[in-house]
Amino acid sequence: MAARSSYNEDQTRGELDFQGLVDLHYGPLYRFAMSLTRTESGACDLVQQTFLTWATKGHQLEDPSRVKSWLYTTLHRAFLESRRRFTRFPHLEITEATAELPSVEPDLVTRLDAREVLQLLGQVDEQFQAAVALFYLEDYSYNEIATILGVPLGTVKSRIARGLAQLKELVLRETSSRGKAQTGGA
Amino acid sequence: MNSSQAKETLLLFRPGTADAADPQRVEALEFARRDPELGRWFEQHRAFQKAMRAKFQDIPVPAHLKSSLLIQGAAPPNLVAPRTWWRRRVWLVAVAAVLLLLGLAAVWLRPGVPDRFANYQARMVGEAQREYTMDLVTNDMRQVRQFMARHDAPADYYVPRGLERLQLTGGGRLTWRSNPVTMVCFDRGDKQMLFLFVMKRSAVKDPPPATPQLSKVSQMLTASWTRGDNTYVLAGPEEPHFVQKYL
Repeated sequence: MAARSSYNEDQTRGELDFQGLVDLHYGPLYRFAMSLTRTESGACDLVQQTFLTWATKGHQLEDPSRVKSWLYTTLHRAFLESRRRFTRFPHLEITEATAELPSVEPDLVTRLDAREVLQLLGQVDEQFQAAVALFYLEDYSYNEIATILGVPLGTVKSRIARGLAQLKELVLRETSSRGKAQTGGA
Repeated sequence: MNSSQAKETLLLFRPGTADAADPQRVEALEFARRDPELGRWFEQHRAFQKAMRAKFQDIPVPAHLKSSLLIQGAAPPNLVAPRTWWRRRVWLVAVAAVLLLLGLAAVWLRPGVPDRFANYQARMVGEAQREYTMDLVTNDMRQVRQFMARHDAPADYYVPRGLERLQLTGGGRLTWRSNPVTMVCFDRGDKQMLFLFVMKRSAVKDPPPATPQLSKVSQMLTASWTRGDNTYVLAGPEEPHFVQKYL
């Protein structure tokens, strides 16, 4: 029978785990939080709250391979709870989002910096934002994104497709209005 | 698979991820190789995705965040075994006190006792400003009515012509002093919402008259009126010609 580890051993392991976990995940989690809140302080608060929740409840997670998605799920829930006004978004099945999809030259994206891309994401329908951010930030499967956001698989695909269509439209609009401003100013 | 289905599948394709192993995507990729028009679209889309992905990865992380997290985690609270809350006497006393208060409140605020319309109006505006939950998100008014009927909330409400022109976004069932309230949400078109609250007129002592009464409640403009058995409150951001526009 395996000996039960002492309190001190548990403590040491816990601290190492915590530090390792922070090392691995704080950057990507912050980027996800920033995609949701678009303010540095709001994103930092969410990441801190997520790790605090880990420190208090993380030991309940039995499958260590699920730590990463647990952190993302917790952060997303914390974000939803932090919003005083919220709606239950509809569970849509994937639709003809391709019909709404404008064609965008990739060069246009390179003219924008990360902050501007985040501002544009903020103009996408709120219900699509988290799915689009996870789509770009992580290599999660659609099933994993569905688990993190707590919605069916079809809804995730639909939200990403529609979110992408809106984002492309916004990139087009932003870069063309800049072009006009530059032409006008010349 | 046709061209449109292939495009839909490739829309969600992320190069260099497990997406490439999905059999449907493999088929769509093959389709794009054979179809020059789709192939061109896909190349452009893929380059767009790559550029966007790089932008997201470029979001700078504040230098102080990691150290704050490590300080916070230096003494993780989970290392102290929590005492089971129900074993704490103080919790039992607190729970008993809350139950007693709830009991008193139930007697005090018993349903069927009419109250002032102004209280109801202020509470509904508060709901709209602070936190509301749409139980149903739809642009189909029939669905809202059916939902409300199933949940014993007013479903036979009148929708003024001005509101009919707006985009319906959904509805929610609320309560006020145990009386069901129907909330119908409309999008004004500029990400601003308008809320129509409907409740039985018998739930208040002093229902408003049939002619809409305009008033400002907590930074929101409201129009209140009574029609048939129901009393109505329309709440929204302040703007000129509110009544003429929406009623």
